[in-house]
Amino acid sequence: MTERDLVHPPSVATERHPSDLAEILERVLDKGIVIAGDIKIDLLDIELLTIRLRLFISSVDTARRAGIDWWETDPALSSRAARDTLAQENAELRERLHALESRIGAEEPSTDGTEGLTSVGAAEEERRP
Amino acid sequence: MTRTEAPTLTYAFAVCRGGDVTAPADPLAEPPGLGGLPGLGTGAPVRTVAAGPLTAVVQDVPAAGFDEEALRSRLSDGAELERCARAHHAVITAASALAPAVPLPLATVYLDDGRVREALGEREASLLAALDRIAGRVEWGVKVYAPTGPRPAPEASPGDGPVSGRAYLNRVRTRQYGREQRHTLALRAAERVDTVVRGLAVAARRLRPHGVEVTGRHRTHVLNAAYLLDLGRERELRAALVSLRRDETDVQIELSGPWAPYSFADGGITDTAAAP
Repeated sequence: MTERDLVHPPSVATERHPSDLAEILERVLDKGIVIAGDIKIDLLDIELLTIRLRLFISSVDTARRAGIDWWETDPALSSRAARDTLAQENAELRERLHALESRIGAEEPSTDGTEGLTSVGAAEEERRP
Repeated sequence: MTRTEAPTLTYAFAVCRGGDVTAPADPLAEPPGLGGLPGLGTGAPVRTVAAGPLTAVVQDVPAAGFDEEALRSRLSDGAELERCARAHHAVITAASALAPAVPLPLATVYLDDGRVREALGEREASLLAALDRIAGRVEWGVKVYAPTGPRPAPEASPGDGPVSGRAYLNRVRTRQYGREQRHTLALRAAERVDTVVRGLAVAARRLRPHGVEVTGRHRTHVLNAAYLLDLGRERELRAALVSLRRDETDVQIELSGPWAPYSFADGGITDTAAAP
């Protein structure tokens, strides 16, 4: 993979032989006619999926913003999308937990209630039955 | 499963029309293009399995190294994945040089030759159709990149000492605007490149753009496309790219190929639902 780093921007007229790993991978993994083998190996599986994601997907946000989205139906991407949703939800939950913890801290008598915390604590109080 | 010999599985690389790679009149009954290949490096020769009108290009692989679990860990290891991918690709390339060949995806493995014949028999019609579609044609890859730097004009004057907040924001905004504009220009250029090459091709397909790990930080991949071209059109393609490169100065255009027609083997006939 390091050889790629050697490709410099000014190489405008470059032409590569079909030996670039990413190009080979995107063809041997994704393409070709699909006939079921006896040994069931899901090429979208686990770690392999991670490799695919590293190779292909990291520019996805940039690309999507730019309107390049023809691969959206890709199952690998869908699962990525699912994971993104989870990650976001996770972050939100963590934030709420953090907020809750702050409130609890604010309510403790030992804590000198700073204004911000007190107001949060007050809001918490209101919601209590 | 006898104990005398290590049990083997049959790894399939590609499917050709029967006789194409092993024509009876062919003095190369064991085609040197295939037989001489290391394949996956198992020591067994790359050979063919005839199934009616079709022929599979296969290799014996040790069951212990290619059962489900072994394959999974094999392909999860980056270096081993690369080795397998390159080996797989090398056999497909060699087979395609001998005859039209439908590439099979990496890690298509059967219990034995009999199962290969059955699999080919079940998909006979679609495989023959695929072979018709790709015969006399090759795949070319065209990639278009937008350079991400250097900035057009670093209008900053570093000697001025502290800059006002507004000046700083303006500079950031200008830079951002420039980036977006360059990107839009690059996307339009990519569309023009695609239109021209598509005009030479019998089929076209867009692949996912590569991420920064592949392209490097200095450029963004804005077009990753594959085109199926008749064999005789290579010169036209190259000429078209020369003039595209001259006209489209906002982007870098790369050509790769010829490839075995990976991206066009399954056009409309992918048969996943019929898996036994």
